[in-house]
Amino acid sequence: MSSQGRIEPVGVAAPRIQPAPGPRRSTMAALRRHPAIARLMVLAALFLLWELAARWWIDPDFLSPPSQVLASLGELFETQGVPAALQITLWELAVAFAISVVIGLAVGLTVGLSRFSNRSFMPIILLLYGTPQITILPLFILYFGIGSASKIAFGVSHGVFPIIVTIVAGVQNIKPILMTAAHSMGASRWQIFRWVIFPHMIPSFFAGMRLGMTGVLLGVLLAELYVSTAGIGYFTTLFTQNFDPTKLLGLVSVLAAMAIALNETVRRAEVYFGRWRTD
Amino acid sequence: MSARRDRRDRRLSRGVQIGFLLGLIALWYFGTAVWGINQILLPNPINVWHELEDVIRSGEFLPDLQVTLTEVAVAFVLSCTSGVTLGYLISRSHYSIRVFEPLLAGAYSVPIILFLPLYVLFFGLGPWSKIALGTTISFFPIALNTIAGFGYVDRIFITAARSMGASDFQMFRYVLLPAALPVILTGLRIGFTVALLSILGSETIASLAGLGHRIVHLAEAMETPRMFAYIAFAVVIAALLNTVVTSLEQRARRR
Amino acid sequence: MTTSDVAIRIAEVSHEFGEPGDAFHVRALADTSLDIVRGELLCLIGPSGCGKSTLLNMIGGLLLPTAGSVEVGSQPVRAPLPREIAFVFQENALFPWCSVLENVKLGMTFQGVPKGEHEERARRSLEAVGLKDFMKHYPAQLSGGMRQRAALARALSLQTAILLMDEPFGALDEQTRMILGEDLSVLLSRSDKTIVFVTHSLGEAVFLADRVAVFSARPGTIKEIISVDEPHPRNPNFVTTEKFGRLRNTLYGLLHDEIRKAVEQSAMAGPLS
Repeated sequence: MSSQGRIEPVGVAAPRIQPAPGPRRSTMAALRRHPAIARLMVLAALFLLWELAARWWIDPDFLSPPSQVLASLGELFETQGVPAALQITLWELAVAFAISVVIGLAVGLTVGLSRFSNRSFMPIILLLYGTPQITILPLFILYFGIGSASKIAFGVSHGVFPIIVTIVAGVQNIKPILMTAAHSMGASRWQIFRWVIFPHMIPSFFAGMRLGMTGVLLGVLLAELYVSTAGIGYFTTLFTQNFDPTKLLGLVSVLAAMAIALNETVRRAEVYFGRWRTD
Repeated sequence: MSARRDRRDRRLSRGVQIGFLLGLIALWYFGTAVWGINQILLPNPINVWHELEDVIRSGEFLPDLQVTLTEVAVAFVLSCTSGVTLGYLISRSHYSIRVFEPLLAGAYSVPIILFLPLYVLFFGLGPWSKIALGTTISFFPIALNTIAGFGYVDRIFITAARSMGASDFQMFRYVLLPAALPVILTGLRIGFTVALLSILGSETIASLAGLGHRIVHLAEAMETPRMFAYIAFAVVIAALLNTVVTSLEQRARRR
Repeated sequence: MTTSDVAIRIAEVSHEFGEPGDAFHVRALADTSLDIVRGELLCLIGPSGCGKSTLLNMIGGLLLPTAGSVEVGSQPVRAPLPREIAFVFQENALFPWCSVLENVKLGMTFQGVPKGEHEERARRSLEAVGLKDFMKHYPAQLSGGMRQRAALARALSLQTAILLMDEPFGALDEQTRMILGEDLSVLLSRSDKTIVFVTHSLGEAVFLADRVAVFSARPGTIKEIISVDEPHPRNPNFVTTEKFGRLRNTLYGLLHDEIRKAVEQSAMAGPLS
């Protein structure tokens, strides 16, 4: 877009345009063809900036350079209770996700397949989906205690709604012409569900799972950070109070990596199962 | 489906919804007043109502509300300016979109709430750690939507304007900006909502003031009726703000 | 014909997209030459992918040929010439956030027409295309045919000597095309613009054009140029005459094999090409 209105001037009898040979042109061309390399370079530049800022400009009580964080990862994992905390968190995520999927699928199919249920319950579901659940986090702790149960519950509470909503949409969005075609070929109601509605709904289901995973991550991590006696929340508080940015950054990085891995897995599943989609 | 059956069904659905909500409220009331559920776990709705009246009448909510709203406002202004600017700059060439957009989308997929302890370490428990988190989280949808808005303007509009002799500035003012505006406004709305939620969240987790903190404070003091009142209050405020922002967006898009 | 009669001179123009060896390398045009006479309406017709739109974009300065040159008024074309050349595109190039009237006025803003003249010129051209009552409407509120009328009005208001039309009626149904074609013929008979018109439709080409340039399949080159000696404005009954039928059949004969070839080419490219 920056070159609107201006075309490179060429002679009257324009010769064929050839790229000039030479090392500089070919690196530029390679970069152009593979934006992934440019992305890596951007990331490297950011890490470099972080490294320099932490070494030269910022008080070491507040920020540690990435090199130091990486080096002390081993020490982090040897800290009493940290590996256990990570395991607990992963377990909480897995259980919350599984429960969300089961409930989400059940409610989603029930509401989606019946127009009456849809009209009756969808507004309630959307209302619940839209409320800022963070305000009732203390209530969850009050009801479920400070152990894993409250974390799982809060995770489910965040993860179940996107799954319901996307499944309902997936069921409702079938083009009527597909149903008409099946009907005209003599399909029974069960056959229509099994061979038309259900396969159509699968990509939406996986899209819902992707959003559900994001929700579960948010819910579980929020609850952990709020109150935790042996989970990661305990350690983030500990490292913060002890002004230990190295360990804190290490822990946050590990958690971030975990989150990325989980999100990416679900996203790939969504892409794989949604291959036939054109949108 | 015939029109009459449709109307009847709609009324029936409406009835189910109202019945559901009334049933919940009835359960709540009976549970606390008659069946003796622990008041600390589930307070009597009447008590909650009284506490709410008290909170509003005494104006006790004002300082906390002010803190929260200020944090949201500052965070939103910061993320708007940085998000739109960076988004526009990135959108100027297809190549830079291909390089930067996946990076931004990838960063957004990490639960940024994880950064809260870092910000608390850096800024302390005061408002700036919340503002920092709110800015960080709402930056991404704004930047991404700005890129989408400017970067995916239908080529035919740009070609047509070029063919009619539009200058770079005319192209921006008369073609790119109006074309991109609806998408950008959606991004701003999402950014605002996300900033509000994340600030309420971070106030809950680590703060000395603000609505989120007030709720936690009351929970720890076991003053459950008042806590419920504040929760209701916060939910209403959030809903109000979201409605305002959404209607602003729709009004601007309808042009 | 003398050089002063030639509005557009296309000399041995070729065009390639991408480099040989690229996945998307394509030879769109091969050695095409053509002289377009001032004041004539020339149709470019050919199978899909034959390069006729590419050639049109080169005439209009939106694209530079990889070989050869295009001259307008003896000057080589290197960039859009908004004062000499106006476009009407196939897709909807009307800005959806502007009303019809605002769209036409915006075109003049881009070209550099003094603000004072905008209103008058815009109204005149919108009346000429039959949209007098729809000036305040937005494109989304109009039918496809009306939108293309508005696009035409926008181009006409720029008062250029040359008008380039890239399948302007391509997205419309047959009946709308018919009416628009007749109206276009009437409109253009009143001016002395040079018009280059790209189309897929044999009937449209014979009805509108003074000459029809027939393209071969990709890489495109001009196979033959047919003359239609018929005065403007064309009578709607022209379509029913024997002469029309003969010319249309000639075009069919020239094009049929090329179309088949083009279909095979796109099939060879494979799915999702």
